[in-house]
Amino acid sequence: MDFSHLLNPAQLANALALASLLTILSSGLALIFGLRDVMNFAHGALYMLGAYMGYTVANHLNFWSALVIVPLLLAVFGAVLEYGVLRPLQRRSHMDVALITFGYALIIGQGITLLWGTQPMSVSAPAALASSFDLFGDPYPAYRAFLIVVGFGACSLLAAWLKWTRSGMHVRAVSQQPMVSRMMGVNTDRLSLLVVCLGAAFAGLAGVLAGPYLSIDPGMGPSILISCMIVVIVGGLGSIGGAIAAAVVYGFIQVFGTMVSPTLAVLAPYLLLFFVLLWRPQGFGRGRVA
Amino acid sequence: MNASSTIQASGAHLIAPPSKKNITGANVALAAILVAAGAFLPLALSDTFYLTLLVNGVVLGIAALAIGFLAHQCGLIMFGAAGFAGGSSYLFAIAVNQFGWQLMAASAFAVAAATGLSFLVGMLVVRTRPLPFAMMTLALAQMLKEVVSITEARPVTGGDDGLNLSFTGTFFGLTQAELSSPVTFWPVAWLALCGVLCVAWAVDRSRTGTVLRMIKANEERMRFSGFDTYWPRVWAFSLAGLMAAISGLLVGLNAAFVSPELLDFATGGMALVSMLIGGASTVLGPVVGALLYVIGQDQFGTSGHLELLTGVAVVVVIMGFPDGVFGTIRKTLIRTRRREQDQKGEHAAR
Repeated sequence: MDFSHLLNPAQLANALALASLLTILSSGLALIFGLRDVMNFAHGALYMLGAYMGYTVANHLNFWSALVIVPLLLAVFGAVLEYGVLRPLQRRSHMDVALITFGYALIIGQGITLLWGTQPMSVSAPAALASSFDLFGDPYPAYRAFLIVVGFGACSLLAAWLKWTRSGMHVRAVSQQPMVSRMMGVNTDRLSLLVVCLGAAFAGLAGVLAGPYLSIDPGMGPSILISCMIVVIVGGLGSIGGAIAAAVVYGFIQVFGTMVSPTLAVLAPYLLLFFVLLWRPQGFGRGRVA
Repeated sequence: MNASSTIQASGAHLIAPPSKKNITGANVALAAILVAAGAFLPLALSDTFYLTLLVNGVVLGIAALAIGFLAHQCGLIMFGAAGFAGGSSYLFAIAVNQFGWQLMAASAFAVAAATGLSFLVGMLVVRTRPLPFAMMTLALAQMLKEVVSITEARPVTGGDDGLNLSFTGTFFGLTQAELSSPVTFWPVAWLALCGVLCVAWAVDRSRTGTVLRMIKANEERMRFSGFDTYWPRVWAFSLAGLMAAISGLLVGLNAAFVSPELLDFATGGMALVSMLIGGASTVLGPVVGALLYVIGQDQFGTSGHLELLTGVAVVVVIMGFPDGVFGTIRKTLIRTRRREQDQKGEHAAR
């Protein structure tokens, strides 16, 4: 088999585009998990909601305003999730809370089909990004490059916030030692509100960004949720750096696997998950949110 | 537990044998009569529509019971029960179509192979904490779904279209036509349910069940007390896999058709939702939940609001009734009975 065609810049960029989408989603998922110890099964549904809202806003106003408005709206959803579920139930078993988010995922998913129908929809890329540019001799869609930049840019900002600000430090502290941080005077509830809103807003951002890249349909939430969970587990539960690394690995495996053998590509993420958990059960990352 | 227990190398002898208070001859006879009478239900209930509903509820109930069993005994939620249930349906279908086996041989093969698979998977996953566990089983089911949908596997698995089955031989004397009719299929489903319920009850009351629940409460302490904490959980997982496999086999037998949807997260979600609504704290809870689910599916399935309502039901039940519907009813009954006894006691004292 000829492998030379695998290593061209366009494929590399495709892998990065998928990875950047997964990174945005997984980092939000990992943040919420780090702080509340709850796997948010509604994350895929929030992403899907973001995509549908993005579709509506992009049709009425334009894509750029959707990119701003939708994450803000989703942040409100995040606040509802925090006040309605995570905070009142923080003394309950974390599995119970995860199952409740699963219930919310069902509700949001069905709500979306009631409001928008089940037909797949597509959003066209904004005019400025509709063209393609020359990437080392191959034409490459400008929108995907934009997706990569925004995705990794958002994650870098997140990482910088966690690393260099006081509130970011508090988030890291709570993720590692919730009890001790509370004793030291960190307001966990306020922090959790911030983080859950941020996580939901990131899901909304990913949804809007996914619109012109993938098609919008009611199955998009559940399918990406499983990918994200694989990424978060492989990256190490609660670790942002690990999640970014794992998302990139996942993207590459998917894109290159599809070219080598579609059969293998389908199985690769699961095999990756099983191997990582057997070889290194804590995942790529060191410790929790970092 | 007394002070001397810390000196013992193993605390294994400290677990009191489970009480056999309720296992009297009369109760066993009553249960046997109920099981036997249940098998003849189609004689009393002539409406095939409701009978179909009941059969679906029972088949779903067995899968829900598998999830509930593992949740109650080990505290592990199996998100991917569809993997073992649908896996068993597919193995059955492949044995019938590809190998051309007789029904009995194919059924035995499907259940045995799916249970073997769950044993192997169990050896890997029971070590993990509940959350990674839930996700790994989910990933397994999703992986199996992708495998059967692969285009290359189309000659064997039928790809996205699924497989239509034509049986040779009989299943305990039932032919294909009889298996697809709810009237004649009912005894099979009913007896399977009773068998699985008996096993779950027996394990629940056995010493193994006690050990499992103690491991759930504090794995580390159990290990320090000299208990093996690994193999009991592997066995419990395999047993749950066996129950799911039985449910999957029943689906294959009854429908004579398999498709990748059987392995879908949504299908596993049905059993999971049933278990959550019924509650895992009792053996019967998941089965009651499955019956409620099937009734709801019949009532609201056509309007398309089923998912919405199941979502609401899951949220309300977990928030308000952590023991599930059946568990809450049982608790209330026990409480009122105790109160009555207390009042009687007071009267006697006066």
